[in-house]
Amino acid sequence: MTLAVAKRDAAAALVAARGVPHRRIEEWKYSDLKSALGEAGLGAVVAQWLVANKPSGVDIFDLSQKNPPDWVAANFAKDSGNTMSAASLALSAGGIAFRVPKGAAIADPLKLDFTGTGHVRALLVLEAGASLTLVEGATVADFRNVGFEIVLGEGAVLDHVRVSPADDAAVLVEEAFVRIAAGGHYRAHFASFGSKLSRMEVDITLEGEGAQAHLSGVSVLDGKRHSDVTTNMRHAVGNTHSTQLFKHVAGGNGRAVYQGRVIVSQGANGSDSNQSAKALLLGENAEADLKPELEIFADDVKCAHGAAVGDLDAESLFYLRARGIPEAEARGLLLHAFLEDAVAEIANPDQREHVRIELLAALNGFRATARDA
Amino acid sequence: MLEIKNLHVSVGDKPILKGLTLSIQPGQVHAIMGPNGSGKSTLSYVLAGRAGYDITEGSITYNGEDLVALKPEERAAKGVFLAMQYPVEIPGVTTMTFLKTALNSQRRQRGESDLDAIGVLKLVRAKAKTLNVSEEMLKRALNVGFSGGEKKRLEILQMAIFEPRLAILDETDSGLDIDALRLVAEGVNTLRSPERAMLVITHYQRLLDYIVPDRIHVLAGGRIVAEGGKELALELEAKGYEHIVKDVA
Repeated sequence: MTLAVAKRDAAAALVAARGVPHRRIEEWKYSDLKSALGEAGLGAVVAQWLVANKPSGVDIFDLSQKNPPDWVAANFAKDSGNTMSAASLALSAGGIAFRVPKGAAIADPLKLDFTGTGHVRALLVLEAGASLTLVEGATVADFRNVGFEIVLGEGAVLDHVRVSPADDAAVLVEEAFVRIAAGGHYRAHFASFGSKLSRMEVDITLEGEGAQAHLSGVSVLDGKRHSDVTTNMRHAVGNTHSTQLFKHVAGGNGRAVYQGRVIVSQGANGSDSNQSAKALLLGENAEADLKPELEIFADDVKCAHGAAVGDLDAESLFYLRARGIPEAEARGLLLHAFLEDAVAEIANPDQREHVRIELLAALNGFRATARDA
Repeated sequence: MLEIKNLHVSVGDKPILKGLTLSIQPGQVHAIMGPNGSGKSTLSYVLAGRAGYDITEGSITYNGEDLVALKPEERAAKGVFLAMQYPVEIPGVTTMTFLKTALNSQRRQRGESDLDAIGVLKLVRAKAKTLNVSEEMLKRALNVGFSGGEKKRLEILQMAIFEPRLAILDETDSGLDIDALRLVAEGVNTLRSPERAMLVITHYQRLLDYIVPDRIHVLAGGRIVAEGGKELALELEAKGYEHIVKDVA
């Protein structure tokens, strides 16, 4: 039997009722999916996945198969369900699920790539005390929608690094729903090089005391590329802690979007949250839309947020040039420096270096374009 | 080495330097003293090539070459160094990375080969020791969290590493206590050489007790209004700028 049949029917009904999200819907104001997809719409194709590295000790289950194990049945399709995650559930019978059993500390990273056009689901369960690094990659496609559920048991630790590739034509959308039990620790970094439309939406619920989530991300957007990171950070109980640090560089007609909502529920006293989003715009037509929001229904909470958009600092640029560093190189150094504190948040040193190298290549591309102009 | 003739500079529409003439030979240390707003910092920025300073009249010749036509990085590669009054903080770039990038950028522009990481490290360490710049400072982001004294020491360390032919020190004494001042001045003095010229810009005579100049120029209202030997500094200290400026007027 197929998993969650009733849920799929409900999801299909939801998608049919709402249609493709467009810019007149507040959450999609800066990312007009409907116009990006055009007449093709959401389609009903099933996208693919590829496990590039499966460390030993990690259990795996193909979601298109029958007789799911208990850890899949208990955790699949439990997300609160927005339109696009409903679409991934309704329009895809396929996908992949992983489990790290209780107490297992997996050093070797799990590498998962999503490929092809269409919709796909994924589930990752870390049982109590388990730890893992998840490296998520993506190939370009006309359109792909990934619905990802992540469940962290008590004291579980997940390092999640996601890199979204540069492409002028691809429409890449993902919704991640992350539930974190007491003492669990989720650390995620989203690096994006932008596409026709690129959106990473993450909805995190800190469900138990001492749960933590630390999000960071960078984007480097040239040409007409777009990148949207939308976060919902839910402090459901007290003594939970979250941080967010996002840095964007946009040139040409690039467009960087950050929408970050922190919700501190009633009674979630002693919650601590910090969010920061900054963008550098390198062209007159580049755009950044940074929207941090707070909804606080509790007392004795510490919540800080900030957003800033600017250009490279002229004084810093002059200082470097006066020391003999040519202008193009000095700009590159300052851009790299601007992004560095967000990159430094990546816990895994190999992945940190990998993202640094990709950023450097993207920034070099920028400078080449700037010189041509 | 440096010939400034009838230099007029405006910032926006406002004239700041109004006919400044100055000549410095190799091996000499000249001091420019002057009250606030006299144009001292403007002169230093114009020499280093900062944007936003319009030269409306006059010329600056450096080793026979028109300095004004050169970009800031080209000036640096040709041996012009400005120790800045307010060194900028650059988070995300370690001091060591910055020093290596700058040194090799200058070398490349001069057609010299890059120094490798070990070569740079050796050079920097040797010079850092005498200026009391710690390994820990070199690992930190450039100037971030540095005290005023640390920032100025790092400026002088750069001067020691880059070995410029013309060093301009803009208010290097500002914000330093007496111990820091002495350390910085010692660093500068060890760099005095027959091939190197220095232009020391300062408001106060204090620095010139430690870095004794060959010649002092008093800048007021955008022009040199008085010149003399090192004794001029003492006169300024005793009588104040107003007295000298009035005498000239």
